[in-house]
Amino acid sequence: MIVADVAGTIALVISYTYLWSLNVNGGWAPPGSSLTAEQTNSSIPSTPPVASFAAEGPFWAIFLVVVLATALMWFGYRSARRGNQAGLILGAGLSFLVTVAALVFQWIQISTFPFGAGDGSYASAVLLLCASNIFHLFLLIFIGMGIFMRARKGLIDKTNWYQAQAASYYMTWVSVAFILGAILTTFLVVSPNTDPAIFGTFTQQ
Amino acid sequence: MSTDTLNPQTPEEPEAPTNRPPSMRRVTLWLRRPYARRVLILTVVIGFLLLPLCWLILAGMNQTGAPASEIMKDIEQTVFVFTLVSIPITAFVFAVLLYSLLGWRRVTGDEPPMQDSPAIRTNTIGVILWTATSSILAMFLVVWGLIELAQITANSYGSISANEQPGQSKSEIINVTGQQWVWTFEYPQHDGLTSDVLYLPLDRPVYFNVTSKDVIHSFWAVELGVKIDANPGAITQTGVTANKLGTFNVRCAELCGMYHAYMQTEIRVLEQDAFDSWVRESGGKKTS
Amino acid sequence: MSVDTTVETSSVFGVHVPQPRQHGAAGGVMRRLNFGTGLIGGVALATIAGWGTAILTPSSASNATFAPMEPTYVYLAVLLGWVIGFMLGIGAFVGPLRWVVGSDITHADAEYMGGKDLGKKRYWKYTTDHKVVGIQYLIVTMLLLGFAGLLAMLIRTELGMTWTELFSPSFYNSMIGTHGIAMILAMIVAVTGPLGNFIVPMMIGARDMAYPRLNALSLWLFVAAVPMLISSMFMGGIQDGWSVYQPLASQAPVGMLGYQLTIIVFAISTAIASVNLMTTILTMRAKGMTWSRTPIFVYGIFASSLMGLYAFPFFQYAQILGLSDRVFGTSFFNPLNGGSVWLYENLFWLLGHPEVYVIIIPSAAIALELMPVFLRKPLFSFNFAVAGIVGVVALSGFVWAHHMYMTGWAPAANYPFMLSTEMISIPVGFLVLVAIGTLWRGTTWTRLPLMAVYAVIFNKMIGGVTGIYLSDVPADQYFHGSMFVVAHFHFMLMGAGLFGGMAGIAFFFPKMTGRILDERIGSIGLWTSFIGFQVTFISMFVAGLQGQPRRVLDFDSQFNISNWISTIGAYVIGIGMLIFLAAIITSWRSGDVASSNPWGSKSLEWQTATPVPLENFPVLPVVTERPYNYGVPDPYEAELDAIDADLAEKVGNK
Repeated sequence: MIVADVAGTIALVISYTYLWSLNVNGGWAPPGSSLTAEQTNSSIPSTPPVASFAAEGPFWAIFLVVVLATALMWFGYRSARRGNQAGLILGAGLSFLVTVAALVFQWIQISTFPFGAGDGSYASAVLLLCASNIFHLFLLIFIGMGIFMRARKGLIDKTNWYQAQAASYYMTWVSVAFILGAILTTFLVVSPNTDPAIFGTFTQQ
Repeated sequence: MSTDTLNPQTPEEPEAPTNRPPSMRRVTLWLRRPYARRVLILTVVIGFLLLPLCWLILAGMNQTGAPASEIMKDIEQTVFVFTLVSIPITAFVFAVLLYSLLGWRRVTGDEPPMQDSPAIRTNTIGVILWTATSSILAMFLVVWGLIELAQITANSYGSISANEQPGQSKSEIINVTGQQWVWTFEYPQHDGLTSDVLYLPLDRPVYFNVTSKDVIHSFWAVELGVKIDANPGAITQTGVTANKLGTFNVRCAELCGMYHAYMQTEIRVLEQDAFDSWVRESGGKKTS
Repeated sequence: MSVDTTVETSSVFGVHVPQPRQHGAAGGVMRRLNFGTGLIGGVALATIAGWGTAILTPSSASNATFAPMEPTYVYLAVLLGWVIGFMLGIGAFVGPLRWVVGSDITHADAEYMGGKDLGKKRYWKYTTDHKVVGIQYLIVTMLLLGFAGLLAMLIRTELGMTWTELFSPSFYNSMIGTHGIAMILAMIVAVTGPLGNFIVPMMIGARDMAYPRLNALSLWLFVAAVPMLISSMFMGGIQDGWSVYQPLASQAPVGMLGYQLTIIVFAISTAIASVNLMTTILTMRAKGMTWSRTPIFVYGIFASSLMGLYAFPFFQYAQILGLSDRVFGTSFFNPLNGGSVWLYENLFWLLGHPEVYVIIIPSAAIALELMPVFLRKPLFSFNFAVAGIVGVVALSGFVWAHHMYMTGWAPAANYPFMLSTEMISIPVGFLVLVAIGTLWRGTTWTRLPLMAVYAVIFNKMIGGVTGIYLSDVPADQYFHGSMFVVAHFHFMLMGAGLFGGMAGIAFFFPKMTGRILDERIGSIGLWTSFIGFQVTFISMFVAGLQGQPRRVLDFDSQFNISNWISTIGAYVIGIGMLIFLAAIITSWRSGDVASSNPWGSKSLEWQTATPVPLENFPVLPVVTERPYNYGVPDPYEAELDAIDADLAEKVGNK
């Protein structure tokens, strides 16, 4: 039955990215990986000290924007379940617009960082976090646009709602990914390792 | 039937088969089936055929003069015991494979056999026996490994902390630096004397601070049983007490670029006197 | 399903099935796209991207070590252009785009993409039929295996000619790296690709995979990845082994980009394939196929997909980080700027160890799947087989650091990782128990697939026992990074993995191609390679024991003899594999036509016709009994009872 159900295929694209990004970020956060990189950074004297750490504010701002988009998508999905087609179209459409706004914010944030890609591993980690955010936002834009268009055409409605549901779940996950990034950049800034080995010379131990 | 005492796979042959509980009775009967006996005999035969491996493996490892330290001796002991423990299981599996090919019924031809084999879905005694045996063996290996690991760690670092000031102990500290594609050995207790051949004093603990200038190398003192990666940006520590005079090998055990294969040098283990005179001749100061 | 008015009916096995309202027009551009347009698109976009980047990059751009960056940017652009252009050209983006604009692919188009009435042309298109995808996977995998095998022969030739150097060190290093990663990729898909796609849906009684278009997507992403890997050979190569440890990898020539992009694309492909297989297995089993009635091979594929799904993103991210280090000058792994080399090792082995189980579990499952058929008896202790697989999956995520005992990363962590690694021998032991129990008292129908299964069990024992040494830290202190390790994982990945794949191919060949695999030539090939395999890798064990490090071009003369023997063995393997390949090719072209169930198997995939019709089953089957229901009732029961009674009498009267 599902063989001919092309739309189902696409829904799985969504759930696939869901699982996939779950794993990716699982590999991203554990201590000893990216944190090691951050830890060793701030205390290595051979590199010029990083001008400043990124302000954590923008991370939370963008996160809130994404949460808004997610909430709108959920609203759309709920509306669809209740049979309120206009609500669905409204939710999906606004969600799409808010996601675009988030992408713009994200871009502004990256272009105003006080450091470049080559400024140590903290900068690298933060930039890649933002890059992953941007990637997620692009996916969301794609999905949001799809849901919006399909809702308008009546392809998603009271009886055929699982794509909206999958999109909502996926957006919830993306919000979690964003909050992970925000937490990392807020609470794990200064390295606890104050006495690292210095590369290139021997220390008498 | 002679039972290999090393073989935990072979159930003990019962002496008096009277007044047994039913399960033991079934085992007894099972042991008297001709194919069961033949498989067990085959197991013992294959086990004994594999037994020389225990020593052959050590002979291979000892070709260039190992063991030259307590650590290497521990390693070889571990390898020996592990070989010994694995042989019964391996022998049993090979025996079943062999017997299944040669002993039990065989058919050839293009058509599926007309008659099915017995439908043995499970066998509680066999399963319990296997699970218990494999768990006990795995536990044994883990415990043995943990004890040996603690032991070689103790042998590597000794009783003194690696952070102790140099010159205060009787130990020799050597800074090992890997770079593409040479090893450099620095003796900080002797005015930073450097050498590209590793000279070691006999019967004295030596501590290595290992690092790298470019990519990851791995410092492998083959016959001493010492191996630790040389990482850029970090210092790793290990140690050894050489207890055999002679010339041994250092090789790089981590691919490090084009001439990785040629990144090797010699270890010369010398008597204390000879070591001291080497230090003097090379311009180092004797401080310890 | 939708309740819309039906405007179209479709004929499934002669029955007209009402179809939901269609939202898009049939036909369109995607009917004209195929492998050829994919190639054209890939090459064209790659050329444009490379050319454009070359113009746009200022010639003064350079990296920290003053190497010009232009080749890096150009090569990156070319590779990206290739992937996107290829996928565009083959029509991978048509579906998603039509989803977004809300004009879905019609049923007629879906059938067209399923390869209906296309004849042989369907093998060259973005076909969604799982059987076509399975065959396509088989061909691509065999090509990649052949390529990597050729490199293996060159490596052994170099190592065997101890008196001279055939290749430059950098080319040699590039060969071992490419051999390693090509083999790993090929082995990962060797079973789950062809057999997982072709057989699993039939084995569980489904008409196709859950998401047929994802299936095609995963295949063509894999196809797009392979040329990138091969092209890196010509761009300076991957001179860092298959593990491309940083920071050595950042020194490598631009060919490293080919490796990194290959892995990134391949990881996407694997994740898609895994999700697809898992969903298929979870939701599309035939009526009555409860979990205790599901064949063990399905469990194996499921486990392998699960591990691949969680493990691969780590690897992918490691490569993305490496790529950004190389291209954008970030410093994740560069210790000069606060990066950590241990970060890379951790990320890499978080993939690395589950990945070997991704390779081995399916082949073990094949072995267990075949044995009941050829021994005509049920699988011994089905629950233990499942428990073994579950145990391996559960532990597989917690053993990665046993590759890092000697890195000095965290000496204290060696204790728990040694524990978890040695614990994994218990579930693996379950699988051996199941194999032994199934062999016990079985009538062997000595055919080629069963012989391959014997080879698998034999090799797996040797690989498993040598693995015990390596899992133990003290012993590993000697063996780590030596030829012993190389021999060990070849026993596991090749001895168990590849021979398991050969068993699977030999067994499912009649179903996949409709012809019988030539038993005589195939057996000669199998046994030749088996003997060559033992010679090669047992002498490699010896070299490792003597202390030869791995990945070396040149070595002390004390290792000469074992390397000579090893090289001779490698040539024997090569000849054996060529014979096996010849058997496959000749049988495929002109073998005897197979009946629908030549092995007399009881599982579902053999119950449908050969060649398999488009949607597999005219009527979806219903499963009513446990798998492997052979030998019911026990034909020898009376005989054995007589023996037992006889014995009981003797013993009892003593």
